[in-house]
Amino acid sequence: MNRKDFFSSLLIVSAAPGTVMAGNKGQQAGTGPFVDARAPVIPPYLKQGDTIGITCPAGNITFSEIQPAMLQIASWGYKLRVGDTVGKKDFTFGGTDTERAADFQQMLDDPTIQAILCARGGYGAIHIIDQLDFSRFVKTPKWIIGFSDITVIHAHLNHNFNIASIHSKMCNSFPDDWEKAEPIQIETILSIRKALAGEHMQYEATTSTVNRSGIAEGMLAGGNLKTIETLAGTKSDLNTAGKILFVEDTGEYLYSIDRMFWNLKRTGKLERLAGLIVGGFKIKPDDPGEEYGRTIAEIVLEKVKDYNYPVCFDFPVGHQKNNYALKCGVPHKLIVGADNVTLQESEILKR
Amino acid sequence: MIKIPSYLKPGDKIGLLCPAGYMSLDKVANCIKVLQEWGYEVRVGKTVGGFSQNYFSGTDTERLTEFQDMLDDDSVKAILCARGGYGIGRIIEDIHFKKFKKNPKWIIGFSDVTVLHAHIHANYQIATLHAPMAGAFNDSEPDGEYLQSLRKALSGEKIKYQHEVHTFNKKGEAIGELVGGNLSILAHLTGTSSDMKTKGKILFLEDVGEYCYGVDRMFYQLKRSGKLNKLAGLIIGGFTEMKDTERPFGKTVYEIIRDIIEEYNYPVCFDFPVGHMKENMALKCGVGYKLKVTKVKVTLDE
Repeated sequence: MNRKDFFSSLLIVSAAPGTVMAGNKGQQAGTGPFVDARAPVIPPYLKQGDTIGITCPAGNITFSEIQPAMLQIASWGYKLRVGDTVGKKDFTFGGTDTERAADFQQMLDDPTIQAILCARGGYGAIHIIDQLDFSRFVKTPKWIIGFSDITVIHAHLNHNFNIASIHSKMCNSFPDDWEKAEPIQIETILSIRKALAGEHMQYEATTSTVNRSGIAEGMLAGGNLKTIETLAGTKSDLNTAGKILFVEDTGEYLYSIDRMFWNLKRTGKLERLAGLIVGGFKIKPDDPGEEYGRTIAEIVLEKVKDYNYPVCFDFPVGHQKNNYALKCGVPHKLIVGADNVTLQESEILKR
Repeated sequence: MIKIPSYLKPGDKIGLLCPAGYMSLDKVANCIKVLQEWGYEVRVGKTVGGFSQNYFSGTDTERLTEFQDMLDDDSVKAILCARGGYGIGRIIEDIHFKKFKKNPKWIIGFSDVTVLHAHIHANYQIATLHAPMAGAFNDSEPDGEYLQSLRKALSGEKIKYQHEVHTFNKKGEAIGELVGGNLSILAHLTGTSSDMKTKGKILFLEDVGEYCYGVDRMFYQLKRSGKLNKLAGLIIGGFTEMKDTERPFGKTVYEIIRDIIEEYNYPVCFDFPVGHMKENMALKCGVGYKLKVTKVKVTLDE
């Protein structure tokens, strides 16, 4: 057993129910993996009749565009509260920075709201993140739901509070007509329901010859790669040590993806991972004469060649139909084998 | 204290190489000719017009080996990167600066070469030259002010820049080391060992081909990583070929920048001739400058 395996198993043992990483000072001496000293804070799962607030911290959306999501979520037995920013528009933003911050703040602080669903991504969460006061939220955490630009919020919670959040589709991904929706759309939307209800999450991914086999256990952390890069050096910088990192992106050139993975490596985000999950990458085609000549797998594997943890590709997370709800900040177990790739919420760490 | 490499004398040798993207030999011909006319010898590296069939001018190893070789070769007094593109970030951690640290020489270029400017500034406090590269010799007259600024910088002539005012300028006077380069690169290097400190310095920034929201996001990164609040002054160069999303962002790039730095009191000038355009002045990174922004003009003096 090498040093890394030793610490990995130590983490699992020390993190048994009731003693979830408490008292662990985290940064072990020597070169072993850094393990986040803070116990994960998992907001209460939702009960029937609980209320979900819908707000626009980034891009704008109309009231009619969130109708399919509202109908579906109401059918799950939850109440809905539509924030002031839904229907607001300040160019691409769902209202001015002040309006978006106020709406989000209100939902963070309102004790009658048990979860906050971001209506859509786009761009803009970074404008309000430093205006938000999380002091009440930290005392009474609730689920925050979204992806893409919402990675700003996931990373900010990860960096500052270790509070879990849900990386998933948002209102703009709910099918207009549930009856005509594809099975994958239904399944991924229902994964949000499962995550909110506290069901044990389990996912299967396709196997691939470029995957790197192994077993990893750690908290999930991640999101949109470009967003993670632009948070480097700030007080929302993602802490990945000892964790299972997942990344996805869309509309980027291969060279730019390469540069972003160098950023992860050079900011120390790849060195102490438990495992790496590469989700969907919608690539912007190279300009003529500027062919990059490397695949995503080659780009990634080059950056992690010095490390031993498992790596899987094409995991169903990203700007695509097969984008399942993932609980950031909750311990999971990743198994990458020749015949199967699974990610499951860790039984042993579940409270 | 910043170390300034020796300025070039007639007969000195300039190494020309491609540390990142590919460039064909015919595209560097003018550059070589003019450098020779200026009285310099030119050593053309194998990465210029090499056998590479892809984006890069050579493999990482080829690009690294050649850069290292020219860095350590005492007969090469300056290294001019023929072009940027993308690729220095792939080799930066493997370059050994030990000999260069003892015998510094001018490293010249911009765009992707910002990786070198930032890395050298962050780690070795040696001045570098942010300046036009080989392509500029095809687009500009050698006796024009932009290529002449490169010639003057190489020979150690002090340059006084004077520029038109812009309505977004913020008046004032700043004295400090000049640092900067390509915004995307500086944002991308944040948190790495090539991340430079900007406190008390005059920062200049330029970029090309980015979305408005992308520039906004990168400025937020600079701001939130503490790179904007303690500047002596700020120089905004060209932000050329900017793109917008289908739903317009609602501000021009200069408006975005103006609003993000609104809270700071240091002098700021916009539309400075530095960037991916013809109007690209040679600027010595790490060297002390005085920036003066008044109602009628902008001056930058070494």
